[in-house]
Amino acid sequence: MKNCEIKSEVTGSVWKIMVVPGQKVQAGESLMIIESMKMEIPVVLEDPGTVVELRVAAGDSVSEGAVVALVAM
Amino acid sequence: MDLTATSPSLEGVMLDYEMRREQALQMGGARKLERRRVDGVLNARERLQLLCDPDSFIESGLFGASSSNPMDRSRTPADGKITGFGRIDGREAAVSANDFTVMGASSSSTNGRKIAHLKRVATQRGLPIVFLGESSGARMPDHMGSHGMGTLLGNDPAQYQRMRETPWVSATLGCSYGSSSWYSVLSDFNVMRKGSVLAVSSPLLASMATGEAVDPEELGGWRVHAEVTGFADMVVDTDEQALAAVKAFLSYLPSHHRSEPPTCAVSAGSGEQMGRILELLPESRTQVYDVRRIVRAIVDKDSYFEIKARFGRVATTGLARLDGHSIGVIANNPLVKGGAMDTDACEKITSFLVLCDSFNIPVVMFVDTPGFLIGAEAEKRRAPGKIMNFMNALSLTTVPKLSVILRKSYGQAYLNMGGGRNSDEVAAWPTAEVSFMDPQFGVRIVHGLEPGAPGYDSAYADMNRDSRVWDMAATHAVQSVIRPRDTRDYLIRMLQVHRSQLSGGIGAHLMRAWPTSF
Repeated sequence: MKNCEIKSEVTGSVWKIMVVPGQKVQAGESLMIIESMKMEIPVVLEDPGTVVELRVAAGDSVSEGAVVALVAM
Repeated sequence: MDLTATSPSLEGVMLDYEMRREQALQMGGARKLERRRVDGVLNARERLQLLCDPDSFIESGLFGASSSNPMDRSRTPADGKITGFGRIDGREAAVSANDFTVMGASSSSTNGRKIAHLKRVATQRGLPIVFLGESSGARMPDHMGSHGMGTLLGNDPAQYQRMRETPWVSATLGCSYGSSSWYSVLSDFNVMRKGSVLAVSSPLLASMATGEAVDPEELGGWRVHAEVTGFADMVVDTDEQALAAVKAFLSYLPSHHRSEPPTCAVSAGSGEQMGRILELLPESRTQVYDVRRIVRAIVDKDSYFEIKARFGRVATTGLARLDGHSIGVIANNPLVKGGAMDTDACEKITSFLVLCDSFNIPVVMFVDTPGFLIGAEAEKRRAPGKIMNFMNALSLTTVPKLSVILRKSYGQAYLNMGGGRNSDEVAAWPTAEVSFMDPQFGVRIVHGLEPGAPGYDSAYADMNRDSRVWDMAATHAVQSVIRPRDTRDYLIRMLQVHRSQLSGGIGAHLMRAWPTSF
Protein backbone atom coordinates (compact mmCIF):
# COMPACT_ATOMS: atom_id res chain seq x y z
CA MET A 1 0.00 0.00 0.00
CA LYS A 2 1.32 3.43 -0.92
CA ASN A 3 0.10 7.01 -0.86
CA CYS A 4 -1.16 8.12 -4.26
CA GLU A 5 -1.64 11.73 -5.32
CA ILE A 6 -5.16 12.40 -6.53
CA LYS A 7 -5.32 15.26 -9.01
CA SER A 8 -8.05 17.54 -10.31
CA GLU A 9 -8.61 17.05 -14.02
CA VAL A 10 -10.01 20.57 -14.41
CA THR A 11 -9.40 24.15 -13.35
CA GLY A 12 -12.22 25.32 -11.08
CA SER A 13 -13.24 25.78 -7.47
CA VAL A 14 -13.90 23.13 -4.84
CA TRP A 15 -17.66 23.06 -4.30
CA LYS A 16 -18.16 20.17 -1.92
CA ILE A 17 -15.97 17.63 -0.10
CA MET A 18 -17.59 14.29 0.63
CA VAL A 19 -14.88 12.46 2.58
CA VAL A 20 -12.73 12.92 5.69
CA PRO A 21 -9.19 11.68 6.39
CA GLY A 22 -9.19 8.05 7.46
CA GLN A 23 -12.31 7.23 5.47
CA LYS A 24 -12.32 4.14 3.24
CA VAL A 25 -13.47 4.90 -0.30
CA GLN A 26 -14.64 2.44 -2.95
CA ALA A 27 -13.59 2.46 -6.61
CA GLY A 28 -15.86 4.81 -8.56
CA GLU A 29 -16.74 6.86 -5.46
CA SER A 30 -16.24 10.64 -5.46
CA LEU A 31 -13.90 12.40 -3.03
CA MET A 32 -15.13 15.89 -3.85
CA ILE A 33 -16.84 17.95 -6.52
CA ILE A 34 -15.07 20.71 -8.43
CA GLU A 35 -17.19 23.39 -10.03
CA SER A 36 -15.93 24.28 -13.50
CA MET A 37 -17.70 25.68 -16.57
CA LYS A 38 -20.85 25.70 -14.38
CA MET A 39 -20.66 21.91 -14.20
CA GLU A 40 -20.17 19.64 -11.20
CA ILE A 41 -17.03 17.63 -11.93
CA PRO A 42 -16.50 14.81 -9.43
CA VAL A 43 -13.00 13.70 -8.43
CA VAL A 44 -13.45 9.95 -8.66
CA LEU A 45 -11.19 7.16 -7.40
CA GLU A 46 -10.38 4.49 -9.97
CA ASP A 47 -9.29 2.00 -7.29
CA PRO A 48 -10.40 1.60 -3.67
CA GLY A 49 -8.31 3.26 -0.95
CA THR A 50 -8.21 5.15 2.33
CA VAL A 51 -8.08 8.93 2.47
CA VAL A 52 -4.80 10.03 4.10
CA GLU A 53 -4.93 13.78 3.61
CA LEU A 54 -7.10 16.42 1.97
CA ARG A 55 -5.04 19.18 0.35
CA VAL A 56 -7.97 21.51 -0.39
CA ALA A 57 -11.06 22.88 1.36
CA ALA A 58 -14.46 23.94 0.03
CA GLY A 59 -14.17 27.25 -1.81
CA ASP A 60 -10.52 26.80 -2.80
CA SER A 61 -9.48 27.40 -6.39
CA VAL A 62 -7.67 24.51 -8.05
CA SER A 63 -5.88 24.29 -11.35
CA GLU A 64 -5.77 21.35 -13.74
CA GLY A 65 -3.39 18.71 -12.42
CA ALA A 66 -3.29 20.12 -8.87
CA VAL A 67 -3.03 17.50 -6.11
CA VAL A 68 -6.27 17.63 -4.10
CA ALA A 69 -5.81 14.60 -1.83
CA LEU A 70 -3.53 11.75 -0.83
CA VAL A 71 -5.10 8.30 -0.81
CA ALA A 72 -3.46 5.08 0.40
CA MET A 73 -4.06 2.32 -2.16
CA MET B 1 26.94 -30.07 -79.29
CA ASP B 2 24.79 -31.97 -76.79
CA LEU B 3 22.32 -29.37 -75.44
CA THR B 4 20.78 -31.79 -72.94
CA ALA B 5 24.05 -32.58 -71.17
CA THR B 6 23.96 -29.54 -68.83
CA SER B 7 20.19 -29.28 -68.34
CA PRO B 8 18.76 -30.76 -65.13
CA SER B 9 15.84 -33.10 -65.52
CA LEU B 10 12.31 -31.78 -65.02
CA GLU B 11 12.21 -33.74 -61.83
CA GLY B 12 15.39 -32.04 -60.69
CA VAL B 13 13.94 -28.61 -61.46
CA MET B 14 10.88 -29.42 -59.42
CA LEU B 15 12.92 -30.80 -56.53
CA ASP B 16 14.94 -27.59 -56.54
CA TYR B 17 11.71 -25.58 -56.54
CA GLU B 18 10.29 -27.49 -53.59
CA MET B 19 13.53 -27.07 -51.65
CA ARG B 20 13.63 -23.31 -52.27
CA ARG B 21 9.97 -22.99 -51.34
CA GLU B 22 10.50 -24.95 -48.15
CA GLN B 23 13.43 -22.69 -47.21
CA ALA B 24 11.43 -19.53 -47.92
CA LEU B 25 8.68 -20.70 -45.59
CA GLN B 26 11.11 -21.39 -42.74
CA MET B 27 11.12 -17.75 -41.58
CA GLY B 28 13.99 -17.05 -39.17
CA GLY B 29 14.47 -20.67 -38.12
CA ALA B 30 13.17 -23.03 -35.46
CA ARG B 31 15.08 -21.49 -32.52
CA LYS B 32 13.74 -17.95 -32.99
CA LEU B 33 10.22 -19.22 -33.65
CA GLU B 34 10.33 -21.34 -30.49
CA ARG B 35 11.41 -18.32 -28.42
CA ARG B 36 8.36 -16.39 -29.62
CA ARG B 37 6.11 -19.33 -28.80
CA VAL B 38 7.50 -19.44 -25.26
CA ASP B 39 6.91 -15.68 -24.96
CA GLY B 40 3.29 -16.17 -26.04
CA VAL B 41 3.74 -14.08 -29.19
CA LEU B 42 2.47 -15.28 -32.56
CA ASN B 43 4.83 -15.40 -35.54
CA ALA B 44 4.07 -13.59 -38.79
CA ARG B 45 2.57 -16.60 -40.59
CA GLU B 46 0.42 -17.52 -37.59
CA ARG B 47 -0.87 -13.95 -37.54
CA LEU B 48 -1.77 -14.15 -41.24
CA GLN B 49 -3.54 -17.44 -40.65
CA LEU B 50 -5.69 -15.92 -37.92
CA LEU B 51 -6.42 -12.77 -39.90
CA CYS B 52 -7.38 -14.33 -43.23
CA ASP B 53 -10.24 -16.71 -43.97
CA PRO B 54 -9.06 -20.36 -44.20
CA ASP B 55 -7.04 -21.13 -47.37
CA SER B 56 -7.65 -17.65 -48.79
CA PHE B 57 -4.13 -16.19 -48.38
CA ILE B 58 -2.18 -16.11 -51.63
CA GLU B 59 1.37 -14.92 -51.24
CA SER B 60 3.08 -12.42 -53.51
CA GLY B 61 6.85 -12.29 -53.22
CA LEU B 62 7.64 -15.50 -51.35
CA PHE B 63 11.02 -15.79 -53.09
CA GLY B 64 12.05 -12.22 -52.38
CA ALA B 65 15.38 -11.96 -50.57
CA SER B 66 18.09 -9.42 -49.82
CA SER B 67 19.15 -7.71 -53.02
CA SER B 68 21.84 -5.53 -51.45
CA ASN B 69 24.00 -8.34 -50.22
CA PRO B 70 23.93 -11.72 -52.06
CA MET B 71 25.55 -13.35 -49.00
CA ASP B 72 22.38 -12.53 -47.03
CA ARG B 73 19.98 -14.24 -49.44
CA SER B 74 19.86 -17.54 -47.60
CA ARG B 75 19.25 -15.67 -44.30
CA THR B 76 16.38 -13.53 -45.59
CA PRO B 77 13.36 -15.72 -46.40
CA ALA B 78 10.62 -13.57 -47.96
CA ASP B 79 13.04 -10.75 -47.10
CA GLY B 80 11.42 -10.39 -43.68
CA LYS B 81 8.06 -9.02 -44.85
CA ILE B 82 5.39 -11.49 -45.91
CA THR B 83 3.00 -9.89 -48.38
CA GLY B 84 -0.01 -11.08 -50.31
CA PHE B 85 -3.77 -11.09 -50.55
CA GLY B 86 -6.37 -12.79 -48.41
CA ARG B 87 -10.05 -12.64 -47.64
CA ILE B 88 -11.07 -11.10 -44.33
CA ASP B 89 -14.61 -12.13 -43.39
CA GLY B 90 -15.23 -12.87 -47.05
CA ARG B 91 -13.78 -9.65 -48.51
CA GLU B 92 -10.51 -9.35 -50.44
CA ALA B 93 -7.69 -7.44 -48.72
CA ALA B 94 -3.99 -6.81 -49.24
CA VAL B 95 -1.91 -7.89 -46.26
CA SER B 96 1.64 -7.34 -45.09
CA ALA B 97 3.00 -9.18 -42.05
CA ASN B 98 6.44 -8.24 -40.78
CA ASP B 99 8.52 -11.29 -39.86
CA PHE B 100 10.67 -10.13 -36.96
CA THR B 101 12.61 -13.43 -36.96
CA VAL B 102 14.21 -12.45 -40.28
CA MET B 103 16.70 -9.68 -39.58
CA GLY B 104 14.19 -7.95 -37.31
CA ALA B 105 11.83 -7.45 -40.29
CA SER B 106 14.11 -4.57 -41.20
CA SER B 107 13.22 -2.49 -44.25
CA SER B 108 15.24 -3.33 -47.34
CA SER B 109 15.24 -2.78 -51.05
CA THR B 110 13.36 -5.96 -51.96
CA ASN B 111 10.75 -5.84 -49.21
CA GLY B 112 10.21 -2.16 -50.04
CA ARG B 113 9.31 -3.28 -53.56
CA LYS B 114 6.97 -5.92 -52.15
CA ILE B 115 5.10 -3.31 -50.10
CA ALA B 116 4.97 -0.93 -53.07
CA HIS B 117 3.43 -3.69 -55.23
CA LEU B 118 0.86 -4.44 -52.54
CA LYS B 119 -0.14 -0.80 -52.31
CA ARG B 120 -0.34 -0.45 -56.10
CA VAL B 121 -2.64 -3.45 -56.45
CA ALA B 122 -4.78 -2.45 -53.47
CA THR B 123 -5.23 1.09 -54.80
CA GLN B 124 -5.94 0.01 -58.40
CA ARG B 125 -8.33 -2.80 -57.47
CA GLY B 126 -9.99 -1.24 -54.44
CA LEU B 127 -8.79 -3.43 -51.57
CA PRO B 128 -8.17 -2.44 -47.94
CA ILE B 129 -4.56 -2.87 -46.76
CA VAL B 130 -3.63 -4.40 -43.41
CA PHE B 131 -0.15 -3.83 -41.99
CA LEU B 132 0.90 -6.18 -39.19
CA GLY B 133 3.77 -4.09 -37.89
CA GLU B 134 6.86 -5.20 -36.02
CA SER B 135 10.23 -3.99 -37.27
CA SER B 136 13.64 -2.93 -36.05
CA GLY B 137 13.71 -0.16 -38.69
CA ALA B 138 15.97 0.24 -41.70
CA ARG B 139 18.29 -2.71 -42.50
CA MET B 140 21.93 -2.10 -41.74
CA PRO B 141 24.40 -1.77 -43.34
CA ASP B 142 22.28 -1.78 -46.53
CA HIS B 143 21.18 1.80 -45.99
CA MET B 144 24.61 3.18 -45.09
CA GLY B 145 26.48 5.57 -47.31
CA SER B 146 25.34 7.49 -50.32
CA HIS B 147 24.82 4.26 -52.28
CA GLY B 148 22.40 3.01 -49.64
CA MET B 149 20.57 6.30 -49.44
CA GLY B 150 20.52 6.67 -53.20
CA THR B 151 18.94 3.30 -53.80
CA LEU B 152 16.79 2.58 -50.77
CA LEU B 153 14.99 4.78 -48.25
CA GLY B 154 11.83 6.33 -49.62
CA ASN B 155 13.13 6.91 -53.14
CA ASP B 156 9.68 5.98 -54.40
CA PRO B 157 7.75 9.26 -54.06
CA ALA B 158 4.49 7.38 -53.39
CA GLN B 159 5.96 5.28 -50.57
CA TYR B 160 4.36 7.36 -47.82
CA GLN B 161 1.61 9.03 -49.85
CA ARG B 162 -1.90 8.75 -48.49
CA MET B 163 -4.90 9.62 -50.64
CA ARG B 164 -7.43 7.40 -48.84
CA GLU B 165 -8.57 5.45 -51.91
CA THR B 166 -8.90 2.37 -49.70
CA PRO B 167 -8.86 1.85 -45.93
CA TRP B 168 -5.49 1.18 -44.28
CA VAL B 169 -5.43 -0.69 -40.98
CA SER B 170 -2.44 -1.31 -38.77
CA ALA B 171 -1.70 -3.56 -35.82
CA THR B 172 1.38 -2.66 -33.79
CA LEU B 173 2.53 -6.04 -32.50
CA GLY B 174 5.97 -5.61 -30.98
CA CYS B 175 8.93 -3.28 -31.50
CA SER B 176 7.88 -1.00 -34.32
CA TYR B 177 10.42 1.50 -35.59
CA GLY B 178 11.05 3.29 -38.88
CA SER B 179 8.68 2.43 -41.72
CA SER B 180 6.63 0.12 -39.49
CA SER B 181 5.68 3.08 -37.30
CA TRP B 182 5.19 5.29 -40.39
CA TYR B 183 2.54 2.89 -41.71
CA SER B 184 0.86 2.72 -38.30
CA VAL B 185 0.34 6.48 -38.17
CA LEU B 186 -0.61 6.66 -41.86
CA SER B 187 -3.38 4.15 -41.26
CA ASP B 188 -7.05 4.87 -40.58
CA PHE B 189 -6.97 2.63 -37.52
CA ASN B 190 -4.06 1.40 -35.43
CA VAL B 191 -4.54 -1.20 -32.70
CA MET B 192 -1.62 -1.59 -30.31
CA ARG B 193 -0.83 -4.68 -28.27
CA LYS B 194 0.42 -3.96 -24.76
CA GLY B 195 4.17 -4.47 -24.56
CA SER B 196 4.68 -3.05 -28.06
CA VAL B 197 6.73 0.06 -28.69
CA LEU B 198 5.96 2.48 -31.53
CA ALA B 199 8.66 5.08 -32.15
CA VAL B 200 10.79 6.74 -34.81
CA SER B 201 13.77 4.66 -33.73
CA SER B 202 14.78 2.14 -31.10
CA PRO B 203 15.37 3.07 -27.43
CA LEU B 204 19.05 2.17 -27.95
CA LEU B 205 19.48 4.61 -30.83
CA ALA B 206 17.44 7.23 -28.98
CA SER B 207 19.66 6.91 -25.91
CA MET B 208 22.81 7.15 -28.04
CA ALA B 209 21.46 10.31 -29.68
CA THR B 210 20.44 11.98 -26.43
CA GLY B 211 23.11 10.57 -24.09
CA GLU B 212 20.39 9.56 -21.62
CA ALA B 213 18.88 6.21 -20.73
CA VAL B 214 15.58 5.82 -22.58
CA ASP B 215 12.80 3.66 -21.20
CA PRO B 216 10.98 1.85 -24.05
CA GLU B 217 7.54 2.29 -22.47
CA GLU B 218 8.15 6.02 -22.02
CA LEU B 219 9.53 6.33 -25.54
CA GLY B 220 6.57 4.74 -27.27
CA GLY B 221 4.62 2.33 -25.07
CA TRP B 222 0.89 1.83 -25.20
CA ARG B 223 0.07 4.39 -22.51
CA VAL B 224 1.97 7.12 -24.37
CA HIS B 225 0.14 6.42 -27.60
CA ALA B 226 -3.30 5.74 -26.12
CA GLU B 227 -3.33 8.76 -23.79
CA VAL B 228 -0.83 11.36 -25.02
CA THR B 229 -0.29 11.10 -28.79
CA GLY B 230 -3.54 9.37 -29.77
CA PHE B 231 -1.62 7.17 -32.24
CA ALA B 232 -3.12 4.05 -30.65
CA ASP B 233 -6.78 3.95 -31.62
CA MET B 234 -7.28 0.88 -29.45
CA VAL B 235 -5.17 -1.07 -26.94
CA VAL B 236 -5.41 -4.83 -26.43
CA ASP B 237 -3.58 -7.48 -24.40
CA THR B 238 -2.87 -10.16 -27.03
CA ASP B 239 -2.07 -10.65 -30.71
CA GLU B 240 -5.34 -12.53 -31.12
CA GLN B 241 -7.35 -9.59 -29.75
CA ALA B 242 -5.46 -7.21 -32.05
CA LEU B 243 -6.34 -9.27 -35.14
CA ALA B 244 -9.98 -9.45 -34.01
CA ALA B 245 -9.96 -5.64 -33.68
CA VAL B 246 -8.61 -5.28 -37.24
CA LYS B 247 -11.44 -7.44 -38.55
CA ALA B 248 -14.04 -5.62 -36.46
CA PHE B 249 -12.87 -2.20 -37.71
CA LEU B 250 -12.96 -3.34 -41.35
CA SER B 251 -16.49 -4.71 -40.90
CA TYR B 252 -17.77 -1.11 -40.67
CA LEU B 253 -15.87 0.12 -43.74
CA PRO B 254 -16.29 -0.30 -47.47
CA SER B 255 -13.40 -1.90 -49.38
CA HIS B 256 -12.75 1.38 -51.18
CA HIS B 257 -13.88 5.01 -51.38
CA ARG B 258 -16.23 4.48 -54.34
CA SER B 259 -18.40 2.05 -52.42
CA GLU B 260 -20.84 2.26 -49.52
CA PRO B 261 -20.03 0.39 -46.28
CA PRO B 262 -21.43 -3.14 -45.99
CA THR B 263 -24.68 -3.65 -44.12
CA CYS B 264 -25.46 -6.44 -41.73
CA ALA B 265 -28.39 -7.92 -39.85
CA VAL B 266 -29.70 -5.87 -36.91
CA SER B 267 -28.54 -7.49 -33.68
CA ALA B 268 -31.26 -8.92 -31.46
CA GLY B 269 -32.30 -6.64 -28.62
CA SER B 270 -31.44 -3.41 -30.47
CA GLY B 271 -33.42 -0.47 -29.16
CA GLU B 272 -34.78 -2.36 -26.17
CA GLN B 273 -33.45 0.29 -23.74
CA MET B 274 -35.07 3.23 -25.55
CA GLY B 275 -38.10 3.33 -23.25
CA ARG B 276 -35.82 4.04 -20.28
CA ILE B 277 -33.24 6.25 -21.99
CA LEU B 278 -34.13 9.34 -19.98
CA GLU B 279 -33.04 7.48 -16.84
CA LEU B 280 -29.47 7.73 -18.17
CA LEU B 281 -29.59 11.53 -17.99
CA PRO B 282 -29.14 13.05 -14.48
CA GLU B 283 -32.02 15.02 -13.00
CA SER B 284 -29.79 18.10 -12.45
CA ARG B 285 -28.50 19.98 -15.48
CA THR B 286 -25.12 20.50 -13.82
CA GLN B 287 -24.45 16.84 -13.02
CA VAL B 288 -22.24 14.66 -15.17
CA TYR B 289 -22.92 11.26 -16.75
CA ASP B 290 -21.34 8.87 -19.24
CA VAL B 291 -22.79 9.66 -22.67
CA ARG B 292 -21.56 6.29 -23.98
CA ARG B 293 -24.44 4.62 -22.14
CA ILE B 294 -26.85 6.76 -24.17
CA VAL B 295 -24.97 6.04 -27.42
CA ARG B 296 -25.01 2.28 -26.75
CA ALA B 297 -28.74 2.36 -26.03
CA ILE B 298 -29.50 4.12 -29.33
CA VAL B 299 -27.27 2.22 -31.80
CA ASP B 300 -27.68 -1.46 -32.71
CA LYS B 301 -26.96 -3.62 -29.69
CA ASP B 302 -23.24 -4.24 -29.02
CA SER B 303 -22.25 -2.38 -32.21
CA TYR B 304 -20.45 0.62 -30.66
CA PHE B 305 -16.77 0.30 -31.58
CA GLU B 306 -15.04 3.12 -29.73
CA ILE B 307 -11.92 4.69 -31.27
CA LYS B 308 -9.27 6.51 -29.20
CA ALA B 309 -11.18 5.76 -25.97
CA ARG B 310 -8.30 6.95 -23.76
CA PHE B 311 -7.42 10.09 -25.76
CA GLY B 312 -9.39 13.35 -25.69
CA ARG B 313 -11.91 11.69 -23.39
CA VAL B 314 -14.15 14.76 -23.15
CA ALA B 315 -15.63 13.42 -26.37
CA THR B 316 -16.23 9.88 -27.55
CA THR B 317 -15.86 8.83 -31.18
CA GLY B 318 -16.64 5.44 -32.63
CA LEU B 319 -18.16 3.39 -35.40
CA ALA B 320 -21.54 1.80 -34.87
CA ARG B 321 -24.54 0.48 -36.75
CA LEU B 322 -28.05 1.82 -36.94
CA ASP B 323 -30.56 -0.60 -38.44
CA GLY B 324 -27.59 -2.56 -39.80
CA HIS B 325 -25.94 0.45 -41.52
CA SER B 326 -22.53 1.84 -40.52
CA ILE B 327 -22.48 5.24 -38.87
CA GLY B 328 -19.81 7.34 -37.18
CA VAL B 329 -20.72 8.63 -33.73
CA ILE B 330 -19.31 11.82 -32.22
CA ALA B 331 -20.59 12.67 -28.75
CA ASN B 332 -19.50 15.05 -26.02
CA ASN B 333 -18.91 13.14 -22.81
CA PRO B 334 -19.87 15.16 -19.71
CA LEU B 335 -18.30 12.42 -17.56
CA VAL B 336 -14.89 13.97 -18.27
CA LYS B 337 -14.38 17.68 -17.55
CA GLY B 338 -18.13 18.17 -17.88
CA GLY B 339 -17.82 17.58 -21.63
CA ALA B 340 -15.95 20.89 -22.18
CA MET B 341 -13.91 20.34 -25.33
CA ASP B 342 -10.12 20.48 -25.23
CA THR B 343 -7.53 20.43 -28.00
CA ASP B 344 -7.06 16.64 -27.86
CA ALA B 345 -10.80 16.20 -28.45
CA CYS B 346 -10.63 18.61 -31.40
CA GLU B 347 -7.88 16.52 -33.00
CA LYS B 348 -9.70 13.29 -32.29
CA ILE B 349 -12.97 14.51 -33.80
CA THR B 350 -11.22 16.07 -36.80
CA SER B 351 -9.44 12.83 -37.70
CA PHE B 352 -12.68 10.90 -37.17
CA LEU B 353 -14.60 13.21 -39.51
CA VAL B 354 -11.89 12.69 -42.15
CA LEU B 355 -12.24 8.92 -41.75
CA CYS B 356 -16.04 8.93 -42.01
CA ASP B 357 -16.17 11.32 -44.95
CA SER B 358 -13.44 9.49 -46.87
CA PHE B 359 -15.30 6.18 -46.65
CA ASN B 360 -18.95 7.23 -47.02
CA ILE B 361 -19.95 6.69 -43.41
CA PRO B 362 -22.77 9.03 -42.25
CA VAL B 363 -22.02 11.03 -39.09
CA VAL B 364 -24.31 11.30 -36.07
CA MET B 365 -23.44 13.83 -33.35
CA PHE B 366 -24.82 13.85 -29.80
CA VAL B 367 -24.33 17.24 -28.19
CA ASP B 368 -23.90 18.06 -24.52
CA THR B 369 -21.07 20.51 -23.97
CA PRO B 370 -20.68 23.70 -21.94
CA GLY B 371 -18.22 24.91 -24.62
CA PHE B 372 -14.54 24.78 -25.44
CA LEU B 373 -12.08 24.72 -22.54
CA ILE B 374 -10.43 28.11 -22.48
CA GLY B 375 -7.44 29.56 -20.65
CA ALA B 376 -3.69 29.98 -21.05
CA GLU B 377 -3.04 26.26 -21.27
CA ALA B 378 -5.55 25.84 -24.10
CA GLU B 379 -3.99 28.71 -26.03
CA LYS B 380 -0.51 27.20 -25.66
CA ARG B 381 -1.93 24.04 -27.13
CA ARG B 382 -3.04 26.06 -30.16
CA ALA B 383 -6.75 25.90 -29.39
CA PRO B 384 -7.86 28.37 -32.11
CA GLY B 385 -6.08 26.33 -34.80
CA LYS B 386 -7.48 23.03 -33.53
CA ILE B 387 -11.02 24.42 -33.22
CA MET B 388 -10.91 25.75 -36.77
CA ASN B 389 -9.43 22.51 -38.19
CA PHE B 390 -12.39 20.74 -36.59
CA MET B 391 -14.86 23.33 -37.93
CA ASN B 392 -13.36 23.22 -41.42
CA ALA B 393 -13.45 19.42 -41.42
CA LEU B 394 -17.13 19.52 -40.49
CA SER B 395 -17.88 22.01 -43.26
CA LEU B 396 -16.05 19.81 -45.81
CA THR B 397 -17.85 16.66 -44.68
CA THR B 398 -20.18 15.64 -47.50
CA VAL B 399 -21.64 12.44 -46.04
CA PRO B 400 -24.97 12.90 -44.21
CA LYS B 401 -24.52 14.69 -40.88
CA LEU B 402 -27.24 14.53 -38.25
CA SER B 403 -26.99 16.13 -34.82
CA VAL B 404 -29.05 15.66 -31.69
CA ILE B 405 -28.76 18.20 -28.87
CA LEU B 406 -29.26 16.25 -25.63
CA ARG B 407 -28.58 19.02 -23.16
CA LYS B 408 -26.05 21.88 -23.29
CA SER B 409 -24.77 23.47 -26.48
CA TYR B 410 -22.87 26.69 -25.95
CA GLY B 411 -20.89 29.25 -27.95
CA GLN B 412 -18.61 28.22 -30.80
CA ALA B 413 -18.98 24.60 -29.68
CA TYR B 414 -22.64 24.82 -30.78
CA LEU B 415 -21.42 25.34 -34.35
CA ASN B 416 -18.62 22.74 -34.14
CA MET B 417 -21.10 20.15 -32.92
CA GLY B 418 -23.35 20.66 -35.93
CA GLY B 419 -25.54 23.54 -34.81
CA GLY B 420 -27.27 25.71 -37.41
CA ARG B 421 -26.59 24.61 -40.97
CA ASN B 422 -23.48 22.73 -39.87
CA SER B 423 -25.41 19.49 -39.97
CA ASP B 424 -28.03 18.40 -42.46
CA GLU B 425 -30.67 17.97 -39.80
CA VAL B 426 -30.66 19.23 -36.21
CA ALA B 427 -32.88 17.61 -33.62
CA ALA B 428 -33.09 18.45 -29.94
CA TRP B 429 -34.43 16.75 -26.88
CA PRO B 430 -36.77 18.96 -24.81
CA THR B 431 -33.94 19.00 -22.23
CA ALA B 432 -31.72 20.99 -24.63
CA GLU B 433 -30.38 24.41 -23.61
CA VAL B 434 -28.59 26.59 -26.10
CA SER B 435 -26.91 29.95 -25.62
CA PHE B 436 -23.68 31.82 -26.17
CA MET B 437 -22.30 31.75 -22.63
CA ASP B 438 -23.40 31.47 -19.02
CA PRO B 439 -25.40 34.67 -18.26
CA GLN B 440 -23.35 35.30 -15.09
CA PHE B 441 -20.16 35.50 -17.19
CA GLY B 442 -22.01 37.67 -19.70
CA VAL B 443 -22.92 40.26 -17.03
CA ARG B 444 -19.35 40.38 -15.75
CA ILE B 445 -17.89 40.84 -19.23
CA VAL B 446 -20.40 43.34 -20.63
CA HIS B 447 -21.23 45.33 -17.49
CA GLY B 448 -18.26 44.59 -15.23
CA LEU B 449 -20.64 43.71 -12.41
CA GLU B 450 -20.13 41.01 -9.79
CA PRO B 451 -23.09 39.24 -8.14
CA GLY B 452 -24.47 41.47 -5.33
CA ALA B 453 -23.31 44.75 -6.96
CA PRO B 454 -25.95 47.46 -7.60
CA GLY B 455 -27.55 46.89 -11.01
CA TYR B 456 -26.37 43.29 -11.23
CA ASP B 457 -29.84 41.77 -10.93
CA SER B 458 -31.39 43.78 -13.76
CA ALA B 459 -28.35 43.23 -15.97
CA TYR B 460 -28.54 39.49 -15.23
CA ALA B 461 -32.25 39.40 -16.07
CA ASP B 462 -31.50 41.07 -19.42
CA MET B 463 -28.67 38.65 -20.18
CA ASN B 464 -30.55 35.57 -19.01
CA ARG B 465 -32.57 35.03 -22.21
CA ASP B 466 -34.51 31.86 -22.52
CA SER B 467 -32.01 29.15 -23.42
CA ARG B 468 -34.63 26.41 -23.76
CA VAL B 469 -35.05 24.96 -27.21
CA TRP B 470 -38.47 26.40 -28.13
CA ASP B 471 -37.26 29.69 -29.61
CA MET B 472 -34.89 27.73 -31.87
CA ALA B 473 -37.69 25.42 -32.96
CA ALA B 474 -39.96 28.40 -33.67
CA THR B 475 -37.38 29.88 -36.05
CA HIS B 476 -36.59 26.46 -37.62
CA ALA B 477 -32.97 26.66 -36.39
CA VAL B 478 -33.62 23.14 -35.12
CA GLN B 479 -35.79 21.14 -37.43
CA SER B 480 -37.18 18.69 -34.87
CA VAL B 481 -37.73 18.45 -31.14
CA ILE B 482 -38.03 14.77 -30.36
CA ARG B 483 -38.93 12.54 -27.44
CA PRO B 484 -35.71 10.97 -26.14
CA ARG B 485 -37.24 7.51 -26.47
CA ASP B 486 -37.87 8.14 -30.20
CA THR B 487 -34.22 9.03 -30.96
CA ARG B 488 -33.27 5.67 -32.47
CA ASP B 489 -36.31 5.58 -34.79
CA TYR B 490 -35.81 9.24 -35.72
CA LEU B 491 -32.16 8.68 -36.69
CA ILE B 492 -32.87 5.52 -38.69
CA ARG B 493 -35.60 7.25 -40.68
CA MET B 494 -33.68 10.50 -41.14
CA LEU B 495 -30.59 8.66 -42.40
CA GLN B 496 -32.77 7.00 -45.02
CA VAL B 497 -33.97 10.46 -46.11
CA HIS B 498 -30.47 11.94 -46.22
CA ARG B 499 -28.71 9.13 -48.08
CA SER B 500 -27.34 10.80 -51.16
CA GLN B 501 -29.46 9.34 -53.96
CA LEU B 502 -27.63 11.47 -56.54
CA SER B 503 -24.25 9.90 -55.89
CA GLY B 504 -25.35 6.47 -54.73
CA GLY B 505 -24.24 7.27 -51.18
CA ILE B 506 -20.71 8.29 -52.19
CA GLY B 507 -19.29 11.49 -50.69
CA ALA B 508 -17.07 14.07 -52.42
CA HIS B 509 -13.99 13.14 -50.29
CA LEU B 510 -12.74 16.69 -50.04
CA MET B 511 -10.36 15.72 -47.21
CA ARG B 512 -8.83 12.66 -48.85
CA ALA B 513 -5.37 14.24 -48.73
CA TRP B 514 -5.66 15.69 -45.21
CA PRO B 515 -3.01 14.68 -42.67
CA THR B 516 -3.33 11.28 -41.03
CA SER B 517 -2.56 12.79 -37.64
CA PHE B 518 -2.86 16.36 -36.38
